[in-house]
Amino acid sequence: MTEKNILLIDDEETIQEVVQVGIGIEAGWQVAIASSGWEGINLAQNQQPDAILLDVMMPDMDGIDTLSQLKNNDKTSTIPVIFLTAKAQAEEKNQFQSLGVVDVITKPFNSMTLASKIAKILDWEM
Amino acid sequence: MAGAKKSPTKKLFYEAVFKHSLEAIAILNRQGLIVEVNPAAVRLFGASKKKLVGKAIDNFGQTSLDWRQLPEQGEIQFQQFKGEIKAVEYSLVRDFLPQYNLLILRDISEVRLNALAQLKLHHQRVELFSEVTLKIRQSLQLSEILQTAVAEVQRILQADRVLIYQVFANGTGMLIEEAVLPEYKPILGMKFPEEVFPEEYRQLYTRGRVRAIADVRAADAGLAECLIEFMDEWMVKAKLVVPILQNFKSTTEPEGDRLWGLLIAHQCQATRQWTDFEQELMQQLADQIGIALSQGELLENLEGLVAERTAELRQEISERAKAEAALRRSEEQLRLIANGLPVLIAYVDRQQHYRFNNRAYQTWLGLSPPEIYDRHLLQVHGAAEYQQICQYVATALRGETVTYERDLLLQDGCVHSLSITYIPHLQEQDKVQGFFALTSDISDRKAIERMKDEFISVVSHELRTPLTSIHSSLKILATGKLGSLSTQGERMLKIADEQTERLVHLVNNVLDLQRIQSGKITMNKQACHAQELMLEAVQAMKTLAQEQDIQLSVRGSDFMVWADRDYIVQTLTNLVSNAIKFSPSNSTVVLSAANEPQPKPHLKQQSTSYITFAVRDRGQGIPQDELETIFERFQQVDSSDSRKKGGTGLGLAICRQIIEGHGGRIWAESCLEQGSTFYFTLPELIQLESDRHD
Repeated sequence: MTEKNILLIDDEETIQEVVQVGIGIEAGWQVAIASSGWEGINLAQNQQPDAILLDVMMPDMDGIDTLSQLKNNDKTSTIPVIFLTAKAQAEEKNQFQSLGVVDVITKPFNSMTLASKIAKILDWEM
Repeated sequence: MAGAKKSPTKKLFYEAVFKHSLEAIAILNRQGLIVEVNPAAVRLFGASKKKLVGKAIDNFGQTSLDWRQLPEQGEIQFQQFKGEIKAVEYSLVRDFLPQYNLLILRDISEVRLNALAQLKLHHQRVELFSEVTLKIRQSLQLSEILQTAVAEVQRILQADRVLIYQVFANGTGMLIEEAVLPEYKPILGMKFPEEVFPEEYRQLYTRGRVRAIADVRAADAGLAECLIEFMDEWMVKAKLVVPILQNFKSTTEPEGDRLWGLLIAHQCQATRQWTDFEQELMQQLADQIGIALSQGELLENLEGLVAERTAELRQEISERAKAEAALRRSEEQLRLIANGLPVLIAYVDRQQHYRFNNRAYQTWLGLSPPEIYDRHLLQVHGAAEYQQICQYVATALRGETVTYERDLLLQDGCVHSLSITYIPHLQEQDKVQGFFALTSDISDRKAIERMKDEFISVVSHELRTPLTSIHSSLKILATGKLGSLSTQGERMLKIADEQTERLVHLVNNVLDLQRIQSGKITMNKQACHAQELMLEAVQAMKTLAQEQDIQLSVRGSDFMVWADRDYIVQTLTNLVSNAIKFSPSNSTVVLSAANEPQPKPHLKQQSTSYITFAVRDRGQGIPQDELETIFERFQQVDSSDSRKKGGTGLGLAICRQIIEGHGGRIWAESCLEQGSTFYFTLPELIQLESDRHD
């Protein structure tokens, strides 16, 4: 199994924790945490993660604005972004994909199967 | 023989005949000159024999007369010596003796004059009769007819008194009309008992008897003493009585003349010999009175009928007026109600012209009544708006009710959300006459819906995030990687995990239902194989079925339907999930699809082909009275089901929304203790493909 570095941008601390622990247990990947869009963009530039899990609904800068910044930044534009959202439905999923996200994972999700989902989306071997 | 006289000679006979003949005889020679005339001829020509002999007979002709050309018999006129014109019949015997001609003439001047006088008299009588008849007939009023009749008879006959006596059914009678000279006492109104005019007399008069009595006192008059006294009292010297007969028509008795009364003329001054003419005139006038009476009765009958019909018509008119007044009141009430309603009401005819609108319509559109009434939709709403609504107008004019929503900038400067319904006005043979347009402002409802949507969205988001944490935490704990739990601890963890799953499911369903109902979901319809849809649902439910020891079976041909794949699989999955939950172990849940015609009740004119899907289980069954309510939110057959079986109570409500969103129908049939079958229909692809090609 190839070790992957994942960046989670989500303002919910409990989500941060269960994702970090779940992915760690399931796949043994490293999960870096950012609690806001700005922090996420900085971390993404510096750490160049393999994939970014981005929450859509966040205070100040929401997921859509953060995505826009990431895609407009040469250093981060190629990093695959997966949206985490409680709102996403089929038609919104299409809308988000047109903005440049690879896929959408709908809350509530099971963090113990999250790594498998990401691997399937990004076609990674596990 | 002694004393015997000698018989006269023939010559003497002839001479006597010639001399005493009343016919004028003239003997003419070959040239037509008179050679001999008898005394009658002398009288006829008005000249002495001496003057006549030697004169040419031609000279006596009123006009030039050529005796040679005269036929043997005929009539001619000639002039006497004193100038008088005479009309004569003649007989000419040519050559009665050699060289001599015999001319016999008879004076017919008097006969002619008499005939002419008779003719004139007859003519005068006819004219008189016509004149009186006309006067009598001019009126159809009985009293006027009788009055005219007595007045005219009195005038023409110069009678002193003329009466009309009416005979009543019981034999009594009364003098009902009179024309009398002022010097004599009137007897109008006098009544007579039956004895005065008994049945036998009435019979005689009915048969047409006419009594002309020149002298009432004369023995041949045959009047009873009492009657003579009566006549004396009224100074009657002579009288003429004729019957007034009326042609009697009856449906129950034989037709015939009925004695209506008598027309009586009195002469008071002196006795009077009544001439035939007078009698005839009286009779004819009485006949005319009879005819007039019949006409009068007919008129009375007719007037009766007219009066009856008039009364009926008055009644009808009165009732109609009442009905119209009621209709006007009803219309007024309707208008008041229509004006009082906070909705826009209008009626538009087939040609798309406004025929009615309530006050709100004017207020909202900011238009005066003339700017709406009789105007075309295009004129009232403008080209841009008309373009938007014309498809709905066309639907209504095809006879289908249609409802749509529009956001419009109204007179108050605000954008209003409007719900507009067109209801077709159908008359005989379902012909569309126009449509009723009902428009209501749903801005408030829309605002509430938006608030509700936002609320559900926020709540679901706010629930989903902690649920993710709880769910994930439990899953992590369950791995045992963070440490071991006691058996009871693991049991508690399992309960927490299952209930979290249920909560997740509920939140997902609430959001699903809300989104479908709000119309935010766009069905991504495409061609789908019915069998593939069923197999996909079976695949998703395979694990659950195995856990419950249930077999899943798919049957049916491979029909094509026009549907949103994901939503139909969701529907099938939901139905199969329910079937598994409520089926006993070791039973089979059967999925099938068939092309069975299912009428679509709200569309009369279109018949679309539908594929019917069925999911059949062998479960406990559903009571008949709950087969409909189970498709409503949070409605389960047993309220404990949701706890036992883990359902949310929203699954079937979501299924119904999805199927109705496809233009299909969903329902259930069930037999208690034997199982239930859930059906839904979807449009078959063939129909829609042909539509798409159009």
